[in-house]
Amino acid sequence: MPAPALALLAVLQFDTVPKPRPVLAVAEAALINVFVNRVDAWAFQQDWARSGTRAWMKNLRLGWEWDEDAFPTNMFAHPYHGGLYFNAGRSNGLNYFESVPIAFFGSWTWEYLGETYRPSLNDWFMTSFGGITLGEMFHRVGATIRNNRATGFNRTIREIGALPIDPIGGFNRILRGQWKGLGPNPPEHDPGAYVLRLGGGIRFAKRLNADSGFWSMGTFLFDLLYGDQVGQEYKAPFDVFNVRLLITSQGINALRASGRLYGANLNSPTGRNRHMLAINQRYDFIKNPAQSVGGQSVEIGINSRWPIGSKGFAIRTAIFGDGIILGAIDAPGTGLGERNYDFGPGVGARWEAGLDRHGVRFLRIFSQIEYIHAVSGASADHTVNFGGIEAAVPITGRLGLSASSTIFGRVSHYTDGRTRDARDYPEARLLLVWTKAGFGEAPPR
Amino acid sequence: MIRTRCLVTLALLCSGGGTAVSQKAPPRPHRSGLWGEFGAGPGYVRVACSGCDDVVGANGTTSLFRIGGVISDKVLIGFEAFTLLNKSFGFGPGDSSAVAETGTAAIVILWYPGRRGLFFKGGVGAAFGQFSVPTDSAGVMVADTSHGGGIGLTFGLGWDFPISRKFALTANAAAFVTALGDVVIPGRTVDDVIATIYQASIGLTIR
Repeated sequence: MPAPALALLAVLQFDTVPKPRPVLAVAEAALINVFVNRVDAWAFQQDWARSGTRAWMKNLRLGWEWDEDAFPTNMFAHPYHGGLYFNAGRSNGLNYFESVPIAFFGSWTWEYLGETYRPSLNDWFMTSFGGITLGEMFHRVGATIRNNRATGFNRTIREIGALPIDPIGGFNRILRGQWKGLGPNPPEHDPGAYVLRLGGGIRFAKRLNADSGFWSMGTFLFDLLYGDQVGQEYKAPFDVFNVRLLITSQGINALRASGRLYGANLNSPTGRNRHMLAINQRYDFIKNPAQSVGGQSVEIGINSRWPIGSKGFAIRTAIFGDGIILGAIDAPGTGLGERNYDFGPGVGARWEAGLDRHGVRFLRIFSQIEYIHAVSGASADHTVNFGGIEAAVPITGRLGLSASSTIFGRVSHYTDGRTRDARDYPEARLLLVWTKAGFGEAPPR
Repeated sequence: MIRTRCLVTLALLCSGGGTAVSQKAPPRPHRSGLWGEFGAGPGYVRVACSGCDDVVGANGTTSLFRIGGVISDKVLIGFEAFTLLNKSFGFGPGDSSAVAETGTAAIVILWYPGRRGLFFKGGVGAAFGQFSVPTDSAGVMVADTSHGGGIGLTFGLGWDFPISRKFALTANAAAFVTALGDVVIPGRTVDDVIATIYQASIGLTIR
């Protein structure tokens, strides 16, 4: 479709009543690419951004390849970028499933038309699948921060606060005059049940730097449980999700998110014990000097809740098996060119058990194992183990003390006769945490 | 009395009939319940690898099999197995010594945007590639076979043309992007193979 016609359709859609605007969503995804490309070409003088018909024809002829970008670029920056495409759909009235093609379209057009480099297959996977997970999460967190009933300074702060999380949604709200307009909030504004935990403290890690013993550093924790994995009936994708962000002085240490794509009761919703089948979409990014691993996956399993007594205490358990659509992992001898990690699909499993009161966890033990078969990089198979224990003790009000210990191990097998390589990475955290929760029943303090 | 009964019966029939007509769902133009499809047609595979200066392309024959169910009026979910076969494949110019077979086994979503038979497809799953070299360049039997396995994505569109209440002819056009990893052929290792397959097919659908 010619660009003027596309632009005209986009403008016409602005004036319609609130309803899905697929053409505007596609146009915005294309505009994101044009904007990023022109900023890179004009402001940053990047030669790779000076693409044109010659580069487009070359890319269409040669097709996909694997790129050599750094781990944070491929595994965090690209999924974040994909979230912009996805939220071009979500903020124009499309639902989760209707926004999925927008993420793939935006990433595909960027790879083929936005750069002089050949299109990168790992970028397409990470931007699309990671963008869907992060995008839907950002869309919901943004909607929770914003409040269409708030006014004045409170309203402005909320709109500005949501902007870095959901910039496309914020941009569309500015265009539609929704930064100041009063009205009802979308259903995503109120997750029903939630637990928000923020923390700061010290992290101790062994083999952090050239196997030179224990190191310590400052660390920040953001932990959000949005919705109730067991007590909440399935309504829509990501009506329940959890996200954990760990930042240290070296940057993002971990960003892990999991959103429910589908859920079903396995026993009576009125029963004392609850068991729910869940299919989750997962995003994992773990980066530290000793280990880099991440990927996009889908898991299926059972969340259970076993109440103890009558004061809101319960044991929660989860057991899941997963398929890694595309993962990435570093190990000696891995990678391609300047890239020092492999890409590949895989499978895995995880389990956890915890003690909570009204949804707020006090104790949690967990373990996870993942297998990745490399299809780009070394001819290798990697197995990752991750397990640990976390405890949180209330001190006063919403403040508490959290201590955790985890161990992260990896074993790599190479098909070219190189030696088997194994490595583990123990670490511990001591944090002062602030917890806010709303779980329907009397919220704990 | 008889006349009254007749009128009441007629009225009930009319009202029942009217209700039946008003509540009758519009005819589903495509698949419902458990459905299956088999199709075949020509394909083209383009193979890229790390460190390769150019890509290699070849024609082949393709076949696909799908089976699935219905999620909603417009959305279907299914399992799809797809293969492409080329008996004179080569990883370099002038080389045609290999028999190449690539394919995917994927979970696919079919979306019917309208009331006609047009549908769009997207899916993700496992990919495999098998490259057999029955003879070397001198014609000596070597029968060396290499396997690659990885991940595959598929996108495409199609159209169901109903030919009876139970059967439809289905036209498909699709792309399959498969990451196969390293492939070892006699005298050479081809690194990080990506096979992109374009396919057009005609199939028979039982719906």
